[in-house]
Amino acid sequence: MSERILMIIAGLLATLVLGLALFWQPEMPERPLPKAAAVNGDFTLESGSGPVSLKDYRGKLVLVYFGYTFCPDICPTSLAATAEGLKLLRPEEAARVAMIFISVDPERDTPARLKEYVEFFHPSMVGVTGAPGALAEIAKRYGVFYAKQKVVTAGDGYVVDHSADTYIVGPDGLLLGKIAHATPPDQVAAELRKRLTP
Amino acid sequence: MKERMLMKKLSLLAAGLLFSAGVLAAAADNISVQDPYVRLAPPNAPATGAFMVIKNNGDKDVKVLKADNPVSKVTELHTHLNEGGVMKMRPVPAIEVKAKGQAVLQPGGLHVMMIDLKAPMKEGDVVPITLTFDDGSSKQVDAKVVRPTAAAMPPMEHKH
Repeated sequence: MSERILMIIAGLLATLVLGLALFWQPEMPERPLPKAAAVNGDFTLESGSGPVSLKDYRGKLVLVYFGYTFCPDICPTSLAATAEGLKLLRPEEAARVAMIFISVDPERDTPARLKEYVEFFHPSMVGVTGAPGALAEIAKRYGVFYAKQKVVTAGDGYVVDHSADTYIVGPDGLLLGKIAHATPPDQVAAELRKRLTP
Repeated sequence: MKERMLMKKLSLLAAGLLFSAGVLAAAADNISVQDPYVRLAPPNAPATGAFMVIKNNGDKDVKVLKADNPVSKVTELHTHLNEGGVMKMRPVPAIEVKAKGQAVLQPGGLHVMMIDLKAPMKEGDVVPITLTFDDGSSKQVDAKVVRPTAAAMPPMEHKH
């Protein structure tokens, strides 16, 4: 009797193992990024020297950062790291990289103000902004989050929560990836070199 | 006999003095501040941050309740919350410095937020920042203005 029970249990276990082998598909640890169609990074916004389109930079890698000039810490840290990373590149490499700062706070950041602000970090950095609707559409495509946040005590009434990554757009205008906030300059340079030499 | 009484009284007095000194020691006396600096605000940026390491050498936790400085209209204590890559800056009511511990004010985290700068600052300027503690005592810290760098801390001159 007990032998029969054992046989049944063994049979059930064998079925279970077989079933697992056939149907269990463990999640692969190293999954490639979601394969949705590559995101088109194109936009046209206003700079202190007229309209700027991402299309103007075809053939270059473009670093795109979303922020605002009131930002006392996060934006300067990111922008300084990126600018220092650019300075580590050889001139012929740097010539193939552009850097654009998009202000998501057009209420306070006029194109003229932005120009002076970004050139403080790097002479070839370009600052742009535009209508709230246009900015929202671009941010959505890039997967950027930003939101005006009323902070009772903040001097000027509000701060802007925002994604702090720097986006990399390829020479064809498609989004390639992003560089995390506060990535040190040498890693920024390494990341850019990797993309410059496929 | 009389002498011994006197000695006793004296030692009592001494002990009392020591005790009250311990009790009366202001929080500020136990606080030391290392590597204070103000980040040079980029042109047109209406605000910037000051950073430092606040050390508490005492046996009691100390709270920094406020900071003041003469170059900005408003001075606040802030921190950053990183929520899934979104940086959120928020005021905090106090910065706690544990007994024998330290609070690190650095980019991406706690900082003294200087809002509405009265005049543009220059690299190398020194900004006196007054920290006020929860027992009412305060300490002035002279923070040098440095250009923003990518590093968490600007390069310090190391004294050997």
